[in-house]
Amino acid sequence: MTDVLALGFMQKALVACVVVCTVAPLVGAFVVQRHQSLTGDGMGHVAFAGVGLAFLIGAAPLLGALVFTVIAAFVLFRLQRSGLAGDLSLALIFYGGIALGYLFAARSGSGVNTVLGFLFGSPLNLTWESVAAVVGLALVVLVIVLLLYGPLVSIAFDEEAARVSGVPTNALVLTLTLVVALTVVGGMYAIGLLLVSAMMIVPVAAAAQVAVSYRQTMAIAAAIGGGSAVVGLLLAYYGDATPGSSIVLTAIVCYVIASVVGTLRRRARRQTPRLAER
Amino acid sequence: MSEAPALEFDQVTFGYGRTPVLREVSLRIYPGEFYAVVGANGAGKTTLMKLGIGLLHATYGTIRLFGEPVEKFHDWHKVGYVPQRAAARPTLPVSVDEVIRTGLAGHLGLFRRPKAHHRRRIEHVVDVMGLADTRSAPINRLSGGQQQRALIARALVTEPRLLVLDEPTTGVDAAARHVLRESLEHLVRVERVAVAYISHDPEGFSGLAHHVVEVTAGHLVDAPVEGHHHPTPTKTRP
Repeated sequence: MTDVLALGFMQKALVACVVVCTVAPLVGAFVVQRHQSLTGDGMGHVAFAGVGLAFLIGAAPLLGALVFTVIAAFVLFRLQRSGLAGDLSLALIFYGGIALGYLFAARSGSGVNTVLGFLFGSPLNLTWESVAAVVGLALVVLVIVLLLYGPLVSIAFDEEAARVSGVPTNALVLTLTLVVALTVVGGMYAIGLLLVSAMMIVPVAAAAQVAVSYRQTMAIAAAIGGGSAVVGLLLAYYGDATPGSSIVLTAIVCYVIASVVGTLRRRARRQTPRLAER
Repeated sequence: MSEAPALEFDQVTFGYGRTPVLREVSLRIYPGEFYAVVGANGAGKTTLMKLGIGLLHATYGTIRLFGEPVEKFHDWHKVGYVPQRAAARPTLPVSVDEVIRTGLAGHLGLFRRPKAHHRRRIEHVVDVMGLADTRSAPINRLSGGQQQRALIARALVTEPRLLVLDEPTTGVDAAARHVLRESLEHLVRVERVAVAYISHDPEGFSGLAHHVVEVTAGHLVDAPVEGHHHPTPTKTRP
């Protein structure tokens, strides 16, 4: 085991993946509670267009993804606020994104496979510079989530009541959408544009099976995310598997285990007297 | 007496698209008044109150909160809102304590943390609403009555001067209704909170309401006040 950790490429992969997979569920908790679980997935599609364009014009892929997802965050926010963010309009934006990305990538001359690598991540090929970018984005996301924790919980739980209590809900919803965009871009190098959204959702779904509060859900989800990154990477190394899929599949196994534990606990609770009604 | 109404509708008209819901509605609720709004499903009761608290915007007419046009109103800590319980059903586990704390989010602003007096207020509303034993439990694991009390506690945590409740007794058992009635009676009589109470069930406000209006065909029609045993506040009504 220590041999593996001494390998430079594994060190970089571990740092990037653990950071991304720990922070992503913290954002996912708000997204899931607001019934917007597929926003991250859609952002990944849009980011792919940015990566493709970056390859086409010779810019940094991170910058391309960042610009496209930030624009998408504003468009999504406007659509949501104007009541037009139905399934159809979102699908048009998101699938348009992946089609554009593929078009740009095919014309870029860099080889489609290089660009496709961003969809599923290639953490074993990271440089320390890209690890620093990933950690930097994750830190920005973490600071925003910690600073705005209370107001974000209030809009996640009941946006109308939050608005009546004076919470600036529009600004917060826009901020949350931007934070999702930053998380997706941050996860791009580590586990890929398509799989990072899985790490926003699956650990949260797993934690919700056993937690009793929102704060606890977030803490357990972050632990499952980080743990899945370590276990998934090691499994990928020893099993010669793809790291992104190993990490996500590990998180799904955690969900299955948490579901079984949660079901057993609920069954045991049903057999004990209900909380006293007064 | 120049005390401004807590909530005032002045010739308010509203419709969804081209479908009119409310026409030239006028209403004043003063501090210490309990106003019940009744009507059939879809009559516009909830729409009326959502207009009153700024969640919807009137097509014509003026709505004022504590004398200020609702569009310019900033003292939102003076307003407590208890939505229909179905509107606040969490996907993830959220404890009763966390639900109550969300009521402080607007009052605290974006970056401030609760101070000692906020924590004391939380303790107070937890006690008043009888939630001490269940405050660390996830809200969706509680009975309908307990969930409703948690939502009311959230609305009370900023010490509001106007409390708007939308169908607060739906799916609530008799014991919880009793606690709710006692709490509302205390708020109106002792703390002089103005209460707007939307319900299709007169049992919830019988004996408490100073005024009952029915929303019918887009208009407000005075309905008989049954079993009221408190003196009606001496305010001039529109």
